[in-house]
Amino acid sequence: MRNPPAFQIARKALTVWRVYGSIQTAILLLVGLVMAILTKMFDWSPWLHIIWFGLPMLSAIFSIYLFPKLRWERWRYEVREQEIEVQHGLFVIKRTLIPMVRVQHVDVAQGPILKRYDLANISISTAATTHEIPALITKEADELRQRISLLARVAEEDV
Amino acid sequence: MFKYRLHPVSALINFFKGLKELLLPFIIIIITSGGIVINPNDPDFWPSLIPKLFLGVALIFVLYIGVVKWRTYMYWFEDDELRVEYGLFVKKKRYVPFERIQSLNYKEGIFHRMFKLVAVDIETAGNSTEAEISLTAITREQANRIEREMKEAKKRLQAVIVDEQGMEIVAEETVVREHVIHAMDKKDLILLASTSGGVGVVLAGILAIFSQVSAYIPYEKIYKEISSVVSIGFALLASVIAAAFIITWLISVLMTFVNYYNFKVVEQDGKMIITRGLLEKKRTTIPLSRIQGIRIVENPLRQPFGYATVLVESASGGDDDNKIASKMNLFPLIKRNEIAGKLAHVLPQYTIDTPMTSSPKRAIPFFYRFDLVYVVPIIAALSYFFYPYGLFSILLIVAFMLLGRWQWRSAAFAIDDSQLTIRSRFLSRTTFIVHKNRIQSMEARQSYFEQRRDVASVGVTVMSGFGGSSSTAMHIESQHADELLSWFERERRDEIEQ
Repeated sequence: MRNPPAFQIARKALTVWRVYGSIQTAILLLVGLVMAILTKMFDWSPWLHIIWFGLPMLSAIFSIYLFPKLRWERWRYEVREQEIEVQHGLFVIKRTLIPMVRVQHVDVAQGPILKRYDLANISISTAATTHEIPALITKEADELRQRISLLARVAEEDV
Repeated sequence: MFKYRLHPVSALINFFKGLKELLLPFIIIIITSGGIVINPNDPDFWPSLIPKLFLGVALIFVLYIGVVKWRTYMYWFEDDELRVEYGLFVKKKRYVPFERIQSLNYKEGIFHRMFKLVAVDIETAGNSTEAEISLTAITREQANRIEREMKEAKKRLQAVIVDEQGMEIVAEETVVREHVIHAMDKKDLILLASTSGGVGVVLAGILAIFSQVSAYIPYEKIYKEISSVVSIGFALLASVIAAAFIITWLISVLMTFVNYYNFKVVEQDGKMIITRGLLEKKRTTIPLSRIQGIRIVENPLRQPFGYATVLVESASGGDDDNKIASKMNLFPLIKRNEIAGKLAHVLPQYTIDTPMTSSPKRAIPFFYRFDLVYVVPIIAALSYFFYPYGLFSILLIVAFMLLGRWQWRSAAFAIDDSQLTIRSRFLSRTTFIVHKNRIQSMEARQSYFEQRRDVASVGVTVMSGFGGSSSTAMHIESQHADELLSWFERERRDEIEQ
């Protein structure tokens, strides 16, 4: 396949995704602990402990270490005068092309965790689809939004 | 400004509509309240009346609402707008400029027929699944009047624009040009019904009947006296299945007749008008400029005989059967080789039959490989729990491999200057035809395994009513995937031209 788009998302995204992964793992661990106590109390099969502690372990390996790393390495984007190109994916690499003329609006969103790390998500909507570029530095995200909406306005219809 | 009311029959129609919604609660109440007690001396008589009293009150309430809805609903024409006003406590007003109206859709139910009325749904380009304004029942003349007012308003608007440019106003008399593109006769209807996806209906029918009959099938005997049951049991089973088939087939023929009776597609002033229906006449308008793409669907029953269904993806709301998806059935049943001819004057920009590039032979495993991921555990479970007969489920692997191969044979794409054609199969073979200026986004997908075999899939999304509708060229050469992306890109193409 052809060359990937030029820009990578902020390195800090990796940290944020690891935070998300940690939260998920913590919740799983908590549930696992409760289940383990119940297993002891009601004399369920001790083999169940493999599940109660195995799942948080898998979650730690995959959603804290492996997936964020892969995902961050894959993520690429490029905003050109006539189109936006985005590449992402974990197992399946997806390459998306969105012509500027089709862009209807651009949103910037920022949750509490993203805000702490001074990051923001951009989502680009066409009449039929929505595409997200996650975890850009807030200032860059705002600039990009400005730029896309400007380009989208001047892009000419090719009917 | 004279304000019009809907025809009084709309009160009745409103009432029946309300009743339809209450039907299920009614049935539940009647069943749970212990049925009907006739003897007044029965101690259960008076208590059993209470639920019915509620029903009575509810009924009167629904009727009252129906009448109020009709009494408070007004519509009129003012300032090149269609205005409506309704509501008892909260007055609601809605003004729709005539120029924004995309289509007027007519429907005729049984009540409408009796009084020569129509229901009119007025649709605008807005992103809503429901009609902007819905007039429950008005006379034919009134409907024509709305259409006339709309035309005049649009003409006036054009005149104003011409005026501003300081040019002479040319009063252009629009000649109503109308020609029939497609019509279906009774023979087509029967063919349509018998080859439609009614397989599901048939199966459901068989299961329903079977579940009723199964109580009478002597299973124990079947196990005990296999030899004698082979003759009796199979005869019984076969006749039940045959009867089920015939009944469901008849029902599906009947339903098709009711829904598609007198099906006709007419082209008029840049719009396609579809009329159909026996008990309830429906008239749907599709502005040609709103059509985003064409889908030709050939199901396995029709493909061998050269028949297909043609759907259009439209940016305005869909017909009643699928409001959100907004695929409109343009030709429910048509000979594959007649499509190009019939569409040639309405949608000349679409080339129906183009030579296509297929998916490469080495991509075949990708069409079934993923299915095996969930099929293999099922087979393992079946083999384990139903040993030894469960082992037969291994044949499922063969079935899925054959299906995958079949899907591979259909997977293909074609591009020319501005048109993209994608062919794919799940069970039915679907050919999707779209123009570059209608594609909202394009996505190429490649898994690690696909990368190793140098293949990739490319999907496009077009606008369709409320949301989007996608189509994917599955597992084609990577190099072709790149070609598709470059075809869709504007900048690189410009570079080549310079």
